Amino acid sequence: MTLKQRYLRVTNLLFLILLGVQFLPDKVRQDPETGYVIGLAVGVEVLVLIFSAVIKKSQSQNLFLDIVGFIYVLLIAWTLATAKGNLLREVLFPAPGRVLRQLIEDREKIVVNIRSSLGIIIKGYLLAAIIAIPAGLFIGWKNRLGNAATYIAKFCSAIPPIVYIPYGIALLPTFQSVSVFVIFLAAFWPILAGTMSGVINVDRKVIDSAKVLNVSGGTMLFSVILPASLPQIFVGCNQGLTVAFVLLTSAEMIGARAGLGYYVKNYSDFGDYTRTIVGILLIGIVVVGITFLFNKLQQYLLRWKR
Amino acid sequence: MSKLEIQNISVDYTEKNKSFTALKNVSFDVEEGEFVSVIGSSGCGKSTLLSILEGINTPTEGAVLIDGKPIHGTGPDRGVVFQNYSLFPWMTARKNVAFGVKQIRKDLSKTERLKIADEFLEKVGLEEFKNKYPSQLSGGMQQRVAIARALAMDTEILLMDEPFGAIDAKNRAILQELLLQLWEGDGTQEKKTVLFVTHDIDEAILLSDRIVMMTSHPGTVRKEIPVPFARPRNRSELVETKAYGEFRNELLSLFYGDIADRIGGSEVVL
Repeated sequence: MTLKQRYLRVTNLLFLILLGVQFLPDKVRQDPETGYVIGLAVGVEVLVLIFSAVIKKSQSQNLFLDIVGFIYVLLIAWTLATAKGNLLREVLFPAPGRVLRQLIEDREKIVVNIRSSLGIIIKGYLLAAIIAIPAGLFIGWKNRLGNAATYIAKFCSAIPPIVYIPYGIALLPTFQSVSVFVIFLAAFWPILAGTMSGVINVDRKVIDSAKVLNVSGGTMLFSVILPASLPQIFVGCNQGLTVAFVLLTSAEMIGARAGLGYYVKNYSDFGDYTRTIVGILLIGIVVVGITFLFNKLQQYLLRWKR
Repeated sequence: MSKLEIQNISVDYTEKNKSFTALKNVSFDVEEGEFVSVIGSSGCGKSTLLSILEGINTPTEGAVLIDGKPIHGTGPDRGVVFQNYSLFPWMTARKNVAFGVKQIRKDLSKTERLKIADEFLEKVGLEEFKNKYPSQLSGGMQQRVAIARALAMDTEILLMDEPFGAIDAKNRAILQELLLQLWEGDGTQEKKTVLFVTHDIDEAILLSDRIVMMTSHPGTVRKEIPVPFARPRNRSELVETKAYGEFRNELLSLFYGDIADRIGGSEVVL
């Protein structure tokens, strides 16, 4: 890569535009905290320059720069629409600098809420996976059971798990356990259905070649059927994860005392839209982070597939 | 007593209330240390026959005896190489071989199993590829791994179901020689009993001591023919000889005579 290819990019131009926009006169009554946006932009740009120098593969460099480019465009539009243009209602749409300041001021509270949300989703989701995968393996392997169970799983997964929340609240002692229970129900059916369909669709030849190797029942199930159906299991797990995220924030908005959903709901009830936007952004960041890690795990476990 | 006795095997299938006979009264023996090929056109039931020997299918009538004892299902006395897809795609070549060894030799430690795997992968010339996944190997290489696994399991009997059927001509020739060389060994160990299914006449002649020719509809044994060529055999020398050409023609006329019988003509020119 030449120096030009490395450093002369649209993304870098967008950075300069973003900086320039910050120095336009403010048109809002509240201080738009322009300094925070400049700070963020400079920080991100330093990262961009480091990445440009370090990363060898032009493909991953392009991806990173493009994502940053989108963030810059968003920040430019946001700044122009709020602080510099006052096109939107100031109370509902705070300037980016104010949101950033709030994010930094609330960091301790935010860590507590993220931890609460993560705890619930990890508990509920892992519980679902630990029960649904072995159950799916076993049911799928027993042909007759599998046929019947497919319909039942379809029926159950078609019911939006949010309707279980009232039951959860009536039956379970703490709100945390209600959320775990709802996440569990939300993730359980897609994972079970994915596992069963994986097992049912395992290539006959794979099973035959395991049979002629004289594998025992346990080895057949866990060393042959499980890895052979892993791609389908991951399809189910991905679906389960998506539903789990939706459910988590919905559940937290109904009656929780902690969590990201609670954070958003609580402050929007008080009309604090700066914090509402902080919460919305955080939910997005947490979901992207978990999905990213999950995809890495999937890539690693399915590395044998081409 | 023969190593492997196939006694009067018949297989009937029922599909949509119509039954048809895949195999009818198939009987032949394979002696210990003998290499026998089963040859026939596609649909003559030779793969069905092999699946019965493997223990995956059960015959409607008849029995298969190993050392005089009837078989029930799969067993550690038989190793199998299929035409394709016999490797597990989520295991590296080395793990595939070691996994096969593990099912037979539970007493070995993991290191010992991997050592055996390495040894046999070296024998088939794949020591550099042992940590590759099947998807990263060519079809020929995958079959080498499958052969290495079957040999590493050290079963008394090897069953091979058109193992080179999906491989291009050049690599097929290389693999045939490799198999021949591995089976003949250095003369110190006992040879394995092999039953090899193929539709390739040259392959059958090169490899086997005896050829069992099958005809279709229903599948029956037409003739058993001993292969009169001394071992060790060399393909390029063998095919030059006049005797080879004559023997090959004899087999071909038997092979196509079957077709001529069925269509009722006496003059089938090929």
